[in-house]
Parts: sequence; C-alpha cells; structure tokens
Amino acid sequence: MTPNASSSRRALRAGAKAAGAVWLAVIGLYVVSGLISPAMFQWSQLLNILQVASFLGVIALGQTFVVLTGGIDLSQAGIVTLTNIVATSLMLGLNDNIVIAVFACLAIAAMAGVANGILVTVIGITPLIATLGTNSILFGAALVYTGGAPRGEAAPAFELIGTGTVLGIPNPTLIWLAIGLAMAWLTRATVFGRWLYATGANTEAAAMAGVPVERVTVAAYALSSLLAAAGGLLLTAYIGSPSLGIGNPFLFTAIAAVVVGGAALTGGVGSMIATIGGAVFITELNSFTNIIRVSSGTQFMVQGFIIIASVLIYRRLSGARG
Amino acid sequence: MTGFSDTRWSRRRLLQGTLGMGALLALGNRAFAQEGVTLEGVGAMVKGTAKPGPYRIGFANGFSGNSWRAMAIAALEAEAKATPDIGEFIILDGQGDINKQVSDIETLINQQVDAILVIANSGSAVAPILKQATDEGIITAPFNLPVDGDGWSTYVGTDPQKKGATLGKWLSDALGGKGKIVALGGLPGNSYTAAGWAGAQEAMSKDIEILAFKDAFWEEDKAKVVMADLIAAHPQIDGVWCDGAQVGAGAMKALLAAGRPLVPVTGDDYNGLLKLYDAEKGNHPKFDIGLMSEPTWQGIFAMRAAVTLLKGGEVPKQQILSPAMITKDNYTKYLRPTLPDGVFTDTSLTDEQLAAIFKA
Repeated sequence: MTPNASSSRRALRAGAKAAGAVWLAVIGLYVVSGLISPAMFQWSQLLNILQVASFLGVIALGQTFVVLTGGIDLSQAGIVTLTNIVATSLMLGLNDNIVIAVFACLAIAAMAGVANGILVTVIGITPLIATLGTNSILFGAALVYTGGAPRGEAAPAFELIGTGTVLGIPNPTLIWLAIGLAMAWLTRATVFGRWLYATGANTEAAAMAGVPVERVTVAAYALSSLLAAAGGLLLTAYIGSPSLGIGNPFLFTAIAAVVVGGAALTGGVGSMIATIGGAVFITELNSFTNIIRVSSGTQFMVQGFIIIASVLIYRRLSGARG
Repeated sequence: MTGFSDTRWSRRRLLQGTLGMGALLALGNRAFAQEGVTLEGVGAMVKGTAKPGPYRIGFANGFSGNSWRAMAIAALEAEAKATPDIGEFIILDGQGDINKQVSDIETLINQQVDAILVIANSGSAVAPILKQATDEGIITAPFNLPVDGDGWSTYVGTDPQKKGATLGKWLSDALGGKGKIVALGGLPGNSYTAAGWAGAQEAMSKDIEILAFKDAFWEEDKAKVVMADLIAAHPQIDGVWCDGAQVGAGAMKALLAAGRPLVPVTGDDYNGLLKLYDAEKGNHPKFDIGLMSEPTWQGIFAMRAAVTLLKGGEVPKQQILSPAMITKDNYTKYLRPTLPDGVFTDTSLTDEQLAAIFKA
C-alpha cells in the first residue's frame, strides 16, 4: 500500500465519522430548539426548513468539490445573483422561455467555473483571491446588465419547481436530495472521486501517482459553479422575482455548511452526505433564531457561537483535523 | 418651524416641461408622483446670492445599484433637462463607498460647480467636505438621507418616523384596533427602519399585539424565508407592518405558500405588491394595502431649491415632504401591470422612461 492510498483511506474514514457527527448535531439542535419553541416540531415547519435548506444545500454540494481539492469558491454568491437576474429577465414570465433561460444560466456558470479553475491551476492565483475576483466580476455584470433596475419574472411552470410538492414533500427538497445522492456517488464510487480526494489530501503525491490534478481541480470549480447556478435557479423558482442582493448570504453560508459538515479547508476530508447535514443545520439554526424573539444582532452572535461550537464538537467526535 | 406655505407641484408645469400632448393623452388617469405632495418647511429661511446662469450642478450619488436609485437618477436627469437655468448636470457614483463619495464631492468642488446634490452614504462622513463646499460659496443640497450638523445649504427628505407612524395607524385601523401583527424591516441596524418602527409602535392601538420584529433586508426572498418561520411560530397573524413593499410582497407570498389567508400589509410603492394585490384581492377578502412611498422624485425638490438659491431666492433650511397614501381606493392609478415588479410606482417618470430604465 502506498502512503498516498493509506492517507486517503484515513481521510475517508475521518470523513465518514464527521458525517455521522453532523447528523447528530442536526438532530440535537432540532430537539433543543423544539423544546424551546414547540413550533419547530410541526410537520409543516419541518418541511419548510427542508425546503429553504435546499437552496443552500445544492450550492454547498458544489462548494464541497472545491473544498475537497483544498480550495475555496467565493464566487458562488455572484453566480446565484447573476443566475437569478438572467433567468428572470430571459423568462419574462413565459413558459416558452424556460429552456433557453436555464441553458443560459448554466452556460454562464460553466464558463465562470472553468475560468476559476484555470486561474487557480494554470495561472497559480490563490483560490481565495481568484474566486473573490470572479465574484466581483459576476456581481458587476449583474449590475451592468440591469443598470441597477432588474426586470422580468419567473415563468409559472418554472415557479412550480420551487413551490410545488410531490407526495407532500417540497420539490426543491426532492431535487436537492437527488442531486446530493448523485454527487455522493460521483465522489465515492468513481475514479474522478478518488482523484478528487487524492488531489486535496496531497496534490504533489497525487500528481506523481498519475492523477490529472489540474483537470480534476478545474472540474471541481466548474461543478461548484454549476451547482451554485442550480441552487440559484431553485431559489428563483421559489421567489419568482429578480433581486440584486439574492446571492449575498451564500458567500459564507455555503462554506459554513461544508465546514459544519466536517470538511477540512485544507482539502481531502469531507463528504457530500455530511454537507447535506451541514446545510440542514445552518437552516435549522436560522429558522430557530427567527422564531425565538431575538434581535438580528443576537441572532448573528448565536449563529456564530453555535457554528464554532459545533465544529469543535464534531472535531472531537471524529478525530478529524481541520 | 416657520410658516412656510405648502408647495403644490403644478401638474401643468411638469407636463409643459417634459411631455408633449401625446404623452398627456397616453397617461390617462395615472397619478403623477408630485401631485398633491406637501412640503413642510423646517428651520429658518435661507437666502441665496444671485449668480448668473446657466448653472452647473453636480450630484454625488452614494451608490447606484438598485432600481430606486436608477429611478431617482432618471428623475433628476429629466428635471435638469427641463430646467433652462441648468446648463450642465454631472453625476458621480460613490459605489457604496464612504471614502469614494467624499473624494467625489472634492472633485465637484475642484470642477467649480455651482451646486452639489448629495445622497449621503454616511451622514457624518460627508459633513466636513460639504461644509467646506458651502464655505466656498457652493450651494449644497443633501436629500433623502440627512447629513450631520448644518454646514449645508438646504435639505429635502421625508420624516421616516412620521411615515412609520402613518403606516402603523393605518394598519391598526385596518384591524379595527385589535389583532396580532408581525413587523419586517430592512437592513439590520439601519436608522430608517428604526425610526419608522418607533413611530409605528406609538401610533398603534394598545390592543395590537406585536408578535415579532425581524430584519428582512428590504428583499423579497429574505422576507419570504423569515415570514415562513414566523407563520410556523404564530398560528394567527392578522397584519404585517413593513417599511418596504418588497418585504410586504415576500411576506404575502409566504402566507400564500402556507395556505393562509392574506392580511392587511403596509409598505411603499413597489409595483410587485400592487400587482399581487390586484391579482389576489378577490380570493382574500381581508387582504388590504396601506402604502407610502419614499419618493424616487424627491431629488427634484432639492434641485429646485438649489436653483432657487442660485437665483438669489429663499428656501427653508429643511423641507420635509409627505407622500400621498396608496390604498385600495387609489392603487389602480399607481399600478403598472405591464412593467416589472421593481418599479417604484409613485413616480415622476412616464411609462416610456420607466421602460427604458428597466429595459422592459
């Protein structure tokens, strides 16, 4: 067994433990918040949380790819905003325009993601700076495109994706879980997945072992962007209207969801299933602090404390270093 | 407080100034923004020293990234074009940066403009540079957001506390003085929402129970998510107080999604809520709107005050304007069914100008 294989196996084990830890945290927070505010225990509120979590959830799945390579993607917020603006302005409330609008958004996202990947791998810019720059360009593009005055609205059939249900479960939740399972399969059961973990755990060793590190990294940024666009499209279907501030909250919550899920920002540790838990946890926490009567300031502080505490606790539980 | 008389904008003057007769016919029964607005003078009168025109006027805009600002700029550009005394109108964009705006104002001073209009990013940060401009003989007219001290020539704006109180009183009355409400504001910690909400709480009946006050960032998406949680927590919500109607629209959409009846809601002149009201009022007998704009055209009055001073005339130190109330009785005059949700419908602009701004 090569050292590389053993380290990536160890990383996988740590990731599996962390995945368990975040789900314990999700259940623990749910029980505690429900005891304080029984409204949290209603079936309808549980579904509401899972519906709202799906937007962050899909976006955070994308972030997980980049974090697994040891990078970070701060351009997801810009992708979400631009997706919302482009989708509503192309749809103009007409079902006939849905396909072209969705394709345009995914095409923009793919280009931005590949650009991020190339900036990081070929040109060698730190991921933090490269993606923050891309984010600024994307947000600027949304401003230039709209002149500050966004127009258009989602098409009625498209809004059903965001607001409809199947067997009582919100559509966005089902789509999120389907994408989540597909991404879990991609990272766990394919060669690409093994390359991804290997790249993040030790880039040089992976390269020497024949992993196409650069292509894997570019693919990770492209997937991150595409999933940010998918999350942005779901959010647009849920809201129905354009808003230039719509992506802002995801700049950091997407990363928080991945980290709360137990991924290491140094790369090579983390899992899609755990990120799903991380997104549920962050949304649950938001929802709980919305329900209890606290000011926004207190809400931000409580959220900050609980995120840090949860990371410390899962770290102890999993023995993972992050 | 001086006995400054109410200034009523003449509709005819506006039409003569900016529109032809064809446009007049096309406008039909549409309400013009300035129609019926009252301006209340506060503080001593300020007298200008007459200067020969035409004047060069600068506008240090704090930032330009939303539809309110886009419409405010368009309103000022139209007014500048329609005013023969104004020879040049220069707009600088502070890009949301406090320091950039200060240096923008310096730039305007160096260009020796005759007057500077400002929407301040920070009422304290621009105060010294505006004082410097005023001391150099430039007319300085901040509007919309107040500037600290009195080192500026004249100010135009609304009174957020009074507006909030008017909306609070309307909501309280709409509920017959009794009921449970939630309040949704703008950005956390902003002074505009704080003043409005303070006014609202004082104006509401004692039997109005406030279930929650939450920040909703003046955005539909944030409001819908927050409201969905409040709906879970409170089985009965009889009314919603907001100082922006994007938030009101998001809150109503959350009620719709939860299968709850729509209720009386306050806000401003955001087209999205008017459209929603028009579409849903038939299905929801309790749905009602009490709205008051933060007028996108208020800069026009700052510009006119500046020109008056440049011509040697007098204006009050501060002019506080009270926009007209938009309710179920007159909302059709404001509703723009064919224009985007983002339009602020209490506007001085024509549908053609709005379509150009929103590229609709």
